Amino acid sequence: MSQGLAGYVIRRLLWTVPVIIAISILVFLLLRLAPQDPIDSLLGQRYDEEIAQRLRQKYGYDRPLHIQYLKYVQNLFQGDLGVSTKHGDFSVAEVIIPKIRVSAGMGIMAIVLVFGLGIPVGVYAALVRGSFLDPLIIGFWLLIDSIPVFVSAVVAPWLFALQLGWVDLTYEGVLHPNIILPVFVMSLPGVAGVARLMRASVIQVSNEEYVRTARAKGLRERTVVVSHVVRNALLPMITAIGLSLPGLFAGSLFVELLFGIPGIARESLQAVLGFDFDVVLGLVLFGSVLFVLANILIDIAYGFIDPRIRITAARGG
Amino acid sequence: MSTVVAPLETGDLGTRPAPRYRFLRELIRKKIAMVAIVLITIFYLAGILAPWVSTSDPNYQRLTIEERLDTPSSEHWFGTDAAGRDLYSRVVYSARTTLIFTLVVILTGSLVLGLSLGLLAGYRGGYIDTAIMRVGEVLSGVPTLLLMLAISAAFRTRLNDVAFWLKDNTFLGDDARAVVPFLIIVGAALPFAWIGSARIVRSQVLAIREQEYVLAAETIGASTTRLLIRHVFPGVLPIFLVGISASMAGIAGGEIALSYLGLGVDPSTPSFGTLLGNAGGVRTFQEYPHMLLVSGIPIILFFFSWNLLGDALVDIVEPRTYRR
Repeated sequence: MSQGLAGYVIRRLLWTVPVIIAISILVFLLLRLAPQDPIDSLLGQRYDEEIAQRLRQKYGYDRPLHIQYLKYVQNLFQGDLGVSTKHGDFSVAEVIIPKIRVSAGMGIMAIVLVFGLGIPVGVYAALVRGSFLDPLIIGFWLLIDSIPVFVSAVVAPWLFALQLGWVDLTYEGVLHPNIILPVFVMSLPGVAGVARLMRASVIQVSNEEYVRTARAKGLRERTVVVSHVVRNALLPMITAIGLSLPGLFAGSLFVELLFGIPGIARESLQAVLGFDFDVVLGLVLFGSVLFVLANILIDIAYGFIDPRIRITAARGG
Repeated sequence: MSTVVAPLETGDLGTRPAPRYRFLRELIRKKIAMVAIVLITIFYLAGILAPWVSTSDPNYQRLTIEERLDTPSSEHWFGTDAAGRDLYSRVVYSARTTLIFTLVVILTGSLVLGLSLGLLAGYRGGYIDTAIMRVGEVLSGVPTLLLMLAISAAFRTRLNDVAFWLKDNTFLGDDARAVVPFLIIVGAALPFAWIGSARIVRSQVLAIREQEYVLAAETIGASTTRLLIRHVFPGVLPIFLVGISASMAGIAGGEIALSYLGLGVDPSTPSFGTLLGNAGGVRTFQEYPHMLLVSGIPIILFFFSWNLLGDALVDIVEPRTYRR
C-alpha cells in the first residue's frame, strides 16, 4: 500500500510539472501580448520614449518573447521570481511573502470557522430532516451565502463598528482582535456549502447497513450518531477542506479591499492593474501550486483514512 | 477516470412515468423551488422589459442639490445616486445587463462548449478525453478571479481604439462603446464556464453509455450523433440543468465583481457591480443607506433564488439524500 501510494504521489507530482508550465506560459503570453507593459503603467503621464527604452532594456522587456520566458524559467529554477516594477525593484518574494502570511493567517481562521460552523449545522439539519427545521436552517445559510461580500463588508462594519461600537475597524495585524470582523465576513458565505455537503453525507451514511446493524445490536442513538454516522460522514469533508484552501486565496479580495488588509488578493489586483509582470506571474504560480498540492493532499488523506480506497494508475482524470 | 460510476437503478421501470416528466413534476411539487422560479422570472422579466418598466433614462443626470442623493420618493422609487440618476431605472437596466451576461455565458460556455466537450470526452474516451480533461485541469488550477482580472485588464487598454473602429465600420454605432467591454468580460468568463458542466456531462455519459438501451441502439447501428442526441443527451439533461443552476450565481457574480472593480462593463452601462461600487463604503452607507440597499437587495434575492433552486434540484436528482 505505502509503496503504491508513494508511486502514486510521484506520478501526480510529475503530472503537475506540465500543468504548471502550461499555466505559466498562458499567463506569460497573456501579459506580454497585451498592448501595455509595466513601463507604460510606471511612467504614466510622464511617459518619455527615451526613458521607457532604457527601462525596458533594464528589465529585459525589449528582448524576444521566448528569450524572456526562458530567462524567467531559468531564474525560477534558481529560486528567483523576478523583480517588481511597481515596488521599486524589490524582489517578487520580498513583495509577496509578507502578504501571503497575512492572507494565510486569515485563511486558516476562516477555514476553522467555516467548518466549525458548517459541520454541526449540517449534522443537525440531517438529524431533523423531514421537519420544517431542515429547510429553514439550510435556507438561512443559503441566504447568508447569497449576500455578496461587497455588501456584507459594508453593512457588517456599519452595524458592529459604527452602530454598536463592538469592534474597531483599523487593521492591526492578523493576531489583533480587530481581524475578527473581516474573518467573519469572509467565512460566513462558505458555511452553506459545507452544511449542505455534511447534511447529504450524514443522510447517505445513515442508510448504510452498518448503521442499521449498530441500531439493531441496541447501541444508544447517541453512540450510533456520533461514532457510526458522523465519523464516516466526515470523509467527504476532506475534499471540501482541501479544495477550500486555494479558494480562500481569491475569495478574500473584497474583504481585503474594503477592510484595508494588506493581503495577497489586494496585491494581485494592484499587480494586474499595474501590469507588474513578475508579481502577477509569481502570484498565479503560487496559487496554482497551492491548488495542485491541495489536490494531492486530498488523495493522500483519503488513502490513509479509508483503506478501502485503492489508488490505482487509472486515477487522476 | 477518477469518477466511480454507480449503476443507475433499472428495476420496476415500467411502473414509473418517464424520468423526464418525473423531473418536471417533482419540481412543480416543491414550493420553495417554485418561489425561486417566480423570483428569477420577475428579475429576468424586469431585464427584458427594462425600457418599458423603467421610469426614467438610467443615465439621465439631475445635478441639483434637491435631486442628487435623494431618498426613495414617489418620483424616484429607489431614490437617486450621487449624479442624480434614477436608481430604480438603473437597477432595472442592471438586471438587463445580468440577464444578457448570464445568458451569453451559459449558452456559449456551459451549453455549447461544456455540453459538447463533455459529451465528446465521455463518449469517445481515449486521447480526446484526456486532452479535454487536462485542459480543464490546467484552467481550474489557475486562480479564477485573478486570471479574469488579468484578461480584462490586458484587453482593456486598446478598448477605445476597437470601440471607435467598430462604431465607424459596423452596424453597432454608439452601442460599440458598451459592446466591447462586455465582450471582454464574456471572454474572461468563458475559459472557466465550460469546465464544470463538461465534467458533469462526462461522468453522466460514462454511466449512461453502458446502459442497455444505449448498447441496444449502438447494436442496431445508430450513428454516433443520433446516439448522443437521442439517447445520451436526455439522460444527461437533468443533472446538467442542476449544474447550470448551481453555477448561475457564480457566473453573474463574476461580472458584478469585475464591474465593481471598474474592470467590467462600460461605466455608462448600468450593472449591479457599478451600482454597488458607487454605493461606497461604510461612511457613505451611514449617510445614504438607500444606495446600497436598493441595488443590494435585488441581487441578494437573485443569488438566493438560484441557490434555493439549485438546492431543490439536487434533491430531485439525488433523491437518496432526501427520502427517509
